[in-house]
Amino acid sequence: MGEQVLLKNFRPDRPATIDEYRQSGGYEALTKAVREMKPGDVIELIKDSGLRGRGGAGFPTGVKWSGVPEDAPFPRYVVPNTDEMEPGTFKDRVLVNADPHLVIEGIVLAAFAVSAQKGIFFVRPSYEMDAELIERELQVARDAGFLGDHILGGDFSFDMAVHRSAGRYICGEATAQINAVQGQRPHPVKGGPHMTEEGLWKRPTLVNNVETLSCIPHILRNGADWFKGLAKTETGAGTKLYTVSGRIRRPGCYELPIGTRLSEILEDCGGGMPPGTEFKACLPGGASTGFLPRKFYDLELDFDPMKKVGQRLGTGAVVVFDQNTCLVAVTLNLIEFFARESCGFCTPCREGLPFVRDLLRRIEEGEGKEEFIPMLHQMAANMRHAYCAFAPGAAAPLQGLLDFFTDEIREHIARKQCPFKAGNGKAEQGRG
Amino acid sequence: MLPKELEQELRKRIEESDHPREEVINVMYAVQNHYGYMCDEAVHETAALLGMTSLEVDELATFYDFIYREPVGRFVIHACDGLVCWMFGEESVVDYLCRKLNIRIGETTKDGLFTVLPSVCIGYCDHAPAILINGEFYGSLTPSRIDDILDDLRKSHCALVRDR
Amino acid sequence: MPKLIIDDREIEVPAGTKVIQAAERLGIMIPRFCFHEALGSLGACRLCAVKFKEGPVKGIEMSCMVEARDGMVVSTTDPDAVSFRKWIIECLMLNHPHDCPVCDEGGHCLLQDETVSGGHGIRRYQGKKRTYVDQDLGPFVRHEMNRCIHCWRCRRFYQDFSGYRDLGALQIANRTYFGRFESGRLENPFSGNLIDLCPTGVYTDKPARFKGRRWNFERGPSLCPHCSLGCNTTGSARYREMVRQEARLNEDVNGYFICDRGRFGFDFANHPHRPRNARSAGEEVSWERGIETAAERLGAIVREAGPDAVLCVGSPRCSLETQVSLRELCRVSGWSAPRFFLESSTSRKVRSAVSKLDEGTAVSMRRIEDADFVLLLGADPVNEAPMSALAVRQAQRKGAAVAVVDPRPVFLPFPFDHLTVTPDRMDLCAAVIVKRALSGDNTATLSGEAAGFLESLPSGYPFDPELHSRMDGIAQALERSERPVIVCGTNIVGESTPGLAGDLAHLLGRTAKKAGLFYLLPGPNAFGAGLQSSTDDPISVLETLEGGKIKALLLVEQDLFRSQFDQERLDRALQNLDCLIVLDYLPSPSVEKADLVLPTTPLFERTPSTFVNQEGRLQQATPVHRGGTPISQVGCGSRPPRTFEDHVPGGDPKAAHEVLDELYRSLGSHERKPLTAEFGDWKAENRSALEDSSLVFVGDRVFSKDAPDKLFSSKITPTEPREKGMEVLSVDWTFGTEELSGYSRVAQKGESVPKLVLHADDAARLGLVEGDKAALQFDAGETILEVGIATNMASGVIVVPGHRLLERQVSAQQPTIVPDNRIRKI
Ligand SMILES: Cc1cc2nc3c(=O)[nH]c(=O)nc-3n(C[C@H](O)[C@H](O)[C@H](O)COP(=O)(O)O)c2cc1C
Ligand code: SF4
Ligand code: FES
Repeated sequence: MGEQVLLKNFRPDRPATIDEYRQSGGYEALTKAVREMKPGDVIELIKDSGLRGRGGAGFPTGVKWSGVPEDAPFPRYVVPNTDEMEPGTFKDRVLVNADPHLVIEGIVLAAFAVSAQKGIFFVRPSYEMDAELIERELQVARDAGFLGDHILGGDFSFDMAVHRSAGRYICGEATAQINAVQGQRPHPVKGGPHMTEEGLWKRPTLVNNVETLSCIPHILRNGADWFKGLAKTETGAGTKLYTVSGRIRRPGCYELPIGTRLSEILEDCGGGMPPGTEFKACLPGGASTGFLPRKFYDLELDFDPMKKVGQRLGTGAVVVFDQNTCLVAVTLNLIEFFARESCGFCTPCREGLPFVRDLLRRIEEGEGKEEFIPMLHQMAANMRHAYCAFAPGAAAPLQGLLDFFTDEIREHIARKQCPFKAGNGKAEQGRG
Repeated sequence: MLPKELEQELRKRIEESDHPREEVINVMYAVQNHYGYMCDEAVHETAALLGMTSLEVDELATFYDFIYREPVGRFVIHACDGLVCWMFGEESVVDYLCRKLNIRIGETTKDGLFTVLPSVCIGYCDHAPAILINGEFYGSLTPSRIDDILDDLRKSHCALVRDR
Repeated sequence: MPKLIIDDREIEVPAGTKVIQAAERLGIMIPRFCFHEALGSLGACRLCAVKFKEGPVKGIEMSCMVEARDGMVVSTTDPDAVSFRKWIIECLMLNHPHDCPVCDEGGHCLLQDETVSGGHGIRRYQGKKRTYVDQDLGPFVRHEMNRCIHCWRCRRFYQDFSGYRDLGALQIANRTYFGRFESGRLENPFSGNLIDLCPTGVYTDKPARFKGRRWNFERGPSLCPHCSLGCNTTGSARYREMVRQEARLNEDVNGYFICDRGRFGFDFANHPHRPRNARSAGEEVSWERGIETAAERLGAIVREAGPDAVLCVGSPRCSLETQVSLRELCRVSGWSAPRFFLESSTSRKVRSAVSKLDEGTAVSMRRIEDADFVLLLGADPVNEAPMSALAVRQAQRKGAAVAVVDPRPVFLPFPFDHLTVTPDRMDLCAAVIVKRALSGDNTATLSGEAAGFLESLPSGYPFDPELHSRMDGIAQALERSERPVIVCGTNIVGESTPGLAGDLAHLLGRTAKKAGLFYLLPGPNAFGAGLQSSTDDPISVLETLEGGKIKALLLVEQDLFRSQFDQERLDRALQNLDCLIVLDYLPSPSVEKADLVLPTTPLFERTPSTFVNQEGRLQQATPVHRGGTPISQVGCGSRPPRTFEDHVPGGDPKAAHEVLDELYRSLGSHERKPLTAEFGDWKAENRSALEDSSLVFVGDRVFSKDAPDKLFSSKITPTEPREKGMEVLSVDWTFGTEELSGYSRVAQKGESVPKLVLHADDAARLGLVEGDKAALQFDAGETILEVGIATNMASGVIVVPGHRLLERQVSAQQPTIVPDNRIRKI
């Protein structure tokens, strides 16, 4: 494994304390920023570092921050996104649990960069324990002068509260999240000014993934070039928390240079496939990415290399499937998830997903027809024109199935049943 | 009616907030906790506290899956049917739970103790299959572990009732 | 102004125009569900997809979400876009019940149109359909959720556009449900617009349910006669019966919407007791005999008692044709000029409003929407002129400050600042606000009389210290504003208020501000009546009758009894008459008492009729159908009769101005020209005939030539300590007060039980609690009402609705003080 940056203070039994964090250099960056830097310097540095958002879309963080106009009104907000509802993804939980003060320092630095006053730490309900942890540690940070009025005795004041969500995947989407915080129905909002101009309560707002934010203190301490140098790829920057789950020997969350090859992640960290199984495909970054078949086994998991081959890094949540897993059934499971969680706002998602679900279910249950295949193609394509990125995300695994595993669909249709359940015991075994 | 203390606590919370409506989910949780689920009265109470209409509260209450607009048991089991848990036998976890508790998914046991709800990936894929019970996580489940968990919960509940 | 190409045609549009709108300008209707001109873009249905081929945006995008920009080349017919749109329709039809044969929307359903034009014909989805349970939404709107295609228009109209909060979106994903928390009547007095807005049949017109399809109806562009705003409508009739009324677009007046009173009030025209035949002394007579009798009686009275023994009283609900004819009839016959208002104070208030409105100051509802400050002075929009509330709501949504100076518990569907002052202090309060707003540099441009008027305004408000800082806040908002509008009522306010409101608006307009003035007047043609009456009425009609000189009273679409508290006094006064002639289409008490009835037709029937709304806009209602007794009332059940006759049963009645014309000819006058000859079509070129009169025409609007008259002559008189006791104010309610809708069995379903409302402090003093019954004792008798209690109103005031269900109406006209000991709990 390469250099541990975000998980440097990881311990299997408990989160790092503020003292442990400070011993490892924690809050030095904040001290430096507050004492020596201007907000604009921080933004420039982050721009130079090449940091891209870890929440799934990979938007350059510095560019996002510079979208807050200098003369924009106050208060301004930072909303650290810890919704983490992307199936297969659990890196933010590991991160928060490993080193809560790293997360906190990152948030405070982001606030400093855009002169924000208030943070709203958005957590999903299944992470209640983490919400409580963060609440405790926020008080610790406050007592230590890293949070609250006049941070470290300077002019900069910023405080933060935890917002407990009540579920639903769409709340992770940045604009929907703002609606959720405002006590509105969490539908996404498009077509207006960007949130860095008009976000929460119509004030400038940063929504960033907590992994993204946790990179900030390290960049400030070690510089943009160092951060770039962490990556394995030319255009990449930093490390990445990859979570590995599914059919793998050692599921878990691993910090590796961004751009580490899939094969390395699976074999060196994940310990390879369990005995008796072989790699068939994986989702590289959660449910909203397409299946990577064997031919991408050596692909570098970073934004640009993946884009080049028409794939997306997503959240870096690798879910592995073996030769006995039915990918029609996997896709059906994912589409069921998306259909259930659709916010219901736009047609392609609200109606299109149940349509796809029906077709996949029929195929899986042996009622499939050849004409379903072009229909699925059409729907995967059309869902890309939904209102927000939810339905295009849902279309990704479907498209992957159609691109690389049409034979498997055809086999279902031809045999009028799922070949993995075809009484050869394989399916049962596969689903052990 | 909400107990005075709870009502006052919530009122204070709302008053202290720059944007009272930001508190709506917290209030719903608190009120739901009191009533056991988000009954109509709970919706009305929430609305009254926040100066919202009942419809406005219900627009949210019916959206979220951790707000229960139907009666639920003492222990609400969110059984993950996300991809990874499903691969690791989610179907059998839900099936097993339902069989064991003699209910269908979405239902509550006759003794009012357990409700089983399907849930999206709960973010514990490294411990699949996993479930949440009243917000608390239980992972790497096997049938015998499930039995133990259910037994423990039953016992703790009985103890609680006895103590009262 | 960006220039772009859509389907090979170039067009230049104002910046900010969406591509879907630009296409519409070229006559290309890009399919849409969620986009609506009034509600704006949403981007939810994804039906308006087009292909962007060149320019800053590329590929398939929603034309409602993309602003037109230079260099764009757009194709609406691109195969990818067409196939995407077809798929969207297919998706929307997955769960649709295909119940068009039993759906009232069928035939004018946007979903039907888009399905057919989109080319979706073959069902590919084999799964089960989602179904919903419907709700009972009250008497006006029928709910059938299975037909829903989730365009979000209902929620956006209901919550965002109109500001009501009891209908919205519940649930999630494809279970998303539009409805209320539970079954129950929609609280929104604009709820009927859901019917027009819904692109399918989720919300349909309950009273019109199963009455027919579009093509079964006779339809015509009409007007709403239920308040002074003159909202545009389309009426539908079948089998000689008005069936429904829909909103008709008028960008200046009502936009796309109307209120529920306007939508469901039409049924007065179907009233089973409507006078359909001429009647003399209680007996039906032929039409000709009726006219002759009227002429004979009038002739005889003039011969005996002279021309001054005849009094003609029209009303603010008469068409302009009728008002003009009545004025002419009086003039050529040598009778005294007609009255149009029963109370002299009403006539003075209306005339004073008319005298202040000129082209520069009178604003339309559209212009109110653009205001950045609105002062409502003695105006209760939701109750008096509902659509004006929606206009103010749009201003408020765009950030306008809204202040209300009114003793009543005024409700508006949005936050506003309410100064609850008693009626005698309203003038002072408004004057102080304007004075404080105009004290700095912004008065430099004022000259002469304007400066003097400003100087004369008081700056101190000696009452209610609690109000001072709020008045300052309002004054500051007014000071900052660039486009302030004063909305002034004419109902509960004193006689001086409309004039003052006018002067204040003109004063604001003399500064750098573009100020607007907007009155709410008592009736659809009150403005016309104001223009037609040459002098203020010195005393009320009742007092005139009591004088005993009047021997013949000709009432034209006017009812003496409706608003009269002391009916016995009225009866006594009527005994002075030799002859009461009533021309009306309502089965009113006056018609009951008349010696001679000549039935007329309402605006839906026979001839076009013209009305001038409260901002001076001349508008014409085209007849919807010919009229006659509805088939359902002629005794053949619900089907047409099986025998054929050469006349229309109940077809005698004519428009009031036609009746007046016939009467005029029967009176044997030498002038043979019809009374309305000079009138012609007010909208046409031959207006010149009128130009020499006292009127000026500006576009669609007409004003008094003298306006603004007596500018800056308002004086704020110090309020006198008044008698001890509670001041009873007769107020309007959305349903129950207005005369015509009171005869509509449909609108009646919207009425609630009339209540008196008073301030909690007064209630406590009087020992009254919510739900009590209380008797108010006046000299002329008592009236008993349920008690309602409010805190958002002035104390010292009791508010009583004028209401159809009350036997005695508390007249609005004089302040009526009731001492505490004459308010009795029952
Ligand atoms: C349907 C949907 C769900 C999302 N869920 C999450 C989430 O759970 N956590 C997250 O950080 N970002 C999520 N995102 C991405 C956010 O919209 C947003 O891009 C991100 O939080 C920005 O942070 P970043 O720039 O640091 O990546 C989601 C996006 C979509 C479309
Ligand atoms: S794609 Fe549409 S329905 Fe789906 S989550 Fe986004 S806005 Fe909601
Ligand atoms: S009209 Fe454009 S998305 Fe609905």
